[in-house]
Amino acid sequence: MADYGEYTIDELMCATLAAQFKDGDEVCNGMASFIPVAAIMLALRTHAPELVWLAGAAGVDPRPDRVPASTLESPLWRDSVMYLEQYGDFWNYAQSGRHLHTFCVGAAQLDQYGNANNSVIGDDYHRPKVRLPGTAGLADMGALGKNLLYWNTNHNPRSLVEKVDFVSCPGYLGGGDERDKLGLTGGPKLVVTNLAVLDFAPDSKRMRLRSVHPGVTVEQVQEATGFELLVPSSVEETPKPTAEQVRLLRDVIDPDGMCKREAGVK
Amino acid sequence: MNKVMTIEEAVGLVSDGEIVALQNMATQAAPMALVRELIRQEKRNLGLVCLVGGMAVDWLSAAGVIDRFIGAAVSMEQFGLCNQYRKAVEGGRVRVEELSETALNARLGAGARNLPFLPTRGMLGSDLIDINDNLTLLQDPFTGETVVACRALVPDVAFIHAHRADARGNVQIEPTIKWPDLGIFPKASKKVIVTAEEIVDTEVLRRNPDRTVLPGFAVDAVVEVPYGAHPTSFFPNYTYDTAFHLEWIKVARDDEATQAFLQKYVYEPATQADYLAAVGGAERILELTR
Ligand SMILES: CC(C)(COP(=O)(O)OP(=O)(O)OC[C@H]1O[C@@H](n2cnc3c(N)ncnc32)[C@H](O)[C@@H]1OP(=O)(O)O)[C@@H](O)C(=O)NCCC(=O)NCCS
Repeated sequence: MADYGEYTIDELMCATLAAQFKDGDEVCNGMASFIPVAAIMLALRTHAPELVWLAGAAGVDPRPDRVPASTLESPLWRDSVMYLEQYGDFWNYAQSGRHLHTFCVGAAQLDQYGNANNSVIGDDYHRPKVRLPGTAGLADMGALGKNLLYWNTNHNPRSLVEKVDFVSCPGYLGGGDERDKLGLTGGPKLVVTNLAVLDFAPDSKRMRLRSVHPGVTVEQVQEATGFELLVPSSVEETPKPTAEQVRLLRDVIDPDGMCKREAGVK
Repeated sequence: MNKVMTIEEAVGLVSDGEIVALQNMATQAAPMALVRELIRQEKRNLGLVCLVGGMAVDWLSAAGVIDRFIGAAVSMEQFGLCNQYRKAVEGGRVRVEELSETALNARLGAGARNLPFLPTRGMLGSDLIDINDNLTLLQDPFTGETVVACRALVPDVAFIHAHRADARGNVQIEPTIKWPDLGIFPKASKKVIVTAEEIVDTEVLRRNPDRTVLPGFAVDAVVEVPYGAHPTSFFPNYTYDTAFHLEWIKVARDDEATQAFLQKYVYEPATQADYLAAVGGAERILELTR
């Protein structure tokens, strides 16, 4: 019999993200979002059967048979009950303030106040060192009062930086009440990486260590982070995925290992 | 009125310096035959509008056709970044007007309705507003709240690929996700050029008028191009060509290999049949339609 007590890091990240989705929440996914998609599919099969999922921000309540090779192609929205027209419908709902309160964000850089950059590396926007894909929906999701959940499969000082080179997705800006002053609600709630789970301190809005994954030390997390983390006096260990969660992810949800590929798990 | 044209005639409607709104997602539904023809006709200084651009943006950058991109993202998703586009931007040859999705929608929505601008609440707090003359903060005259005004954008021409059309330019797509390319691009643009998998008799469209997405009166040219979106996907007809994408991402890292690739797949094939033969012929097409 397969041993579902052993787990891989993508499985732990999926289970951690899945726990953030409550039954009845409405969520959607964008491009290159394998771990969030698997987390949604896991939540649907476990604690949140009434979770509403808009696959690719367009296919309502789909039934894909597994995590496909793309999170923005037709196999993902297979057997949907409705296709939302991307602009006409999707953004009307997303902008309404009444729907889709949670969004998962991945980006090349994330900073200590939860601002994200997927636009350019370098200080000259028009002559960047690296031209990244672009903001896509991030600048909207960051400004429209959503709860942002970040995932990052490569926790290192290059991706977790003191200050992003460019704000593609507004988080808490310069910290404190800067976000409130602009009249923005919602904001970054949680960061799930391959080493730890982090959140944001209520007053300063600085990133704070919440739990370290089994086998990882606080020092290792700090060393892999490009700025000083807030570290509470006691840091818990991230719960391991249960054997049932591991079985579902490995055998049912992601048998092709798309999340393993995303997380660089061999 | 008969709107059927050859692909040469249709792309001949585009002049250097104009703005082309291109149907496209990372690996989806791009009118690639029209993109190849833009390159073959050596168009220059075009602006390109996409929600999300993929391989088409890479090719148009590598061939020196575009000098500006207006849109929300460029990426081939699972196949990674578009490295020829990236190089063109990093080298200052292509300028990027990066817009959030609601901002692009607002700019095109204003263009479609002949309004000076439309507002969005998106992007507040981001760095996108300061670097863009087409965006500015505005006080809502009713409540005093701050919103972002997005200046109208009217592309010169929209390129669309569809499942079928009739000779009068009525355009149908099969039930599938409708990206903004169909929702707003053609409505905002001065001209609309459509390639279709097949041109059919109008009577065929009358059987399912609910699938007609563009009325002929608002379409300028239709060209029949089977597999006209290859190597991107065009569901339910065919999926994206993984092998071709993998070949491209490898050559796109090298300028010489890139030009050889364009020679083989863009300049040399004189017809769509030649192109399909070059990419692997019936065998490859059958794999993609399975
Ligand atoms: C983050 C993301 C851009 C990474 O894409 P990728 O194809 O895996 O890119 P790579 O890691 O190979 O990096 C590409 C290049 O950028 C560079 N790069 C990436 N992150 C960098 C960073 N933080 N600092 C400096 N350079 C960086 C790499 O060095 C590489 O450059 P090279 O080609 O010269 O070696 C991509 O996964 C993405 O767009 N994610 C967003 C997903 C998301 O949020 N979706 C929902 C909204 S639609």
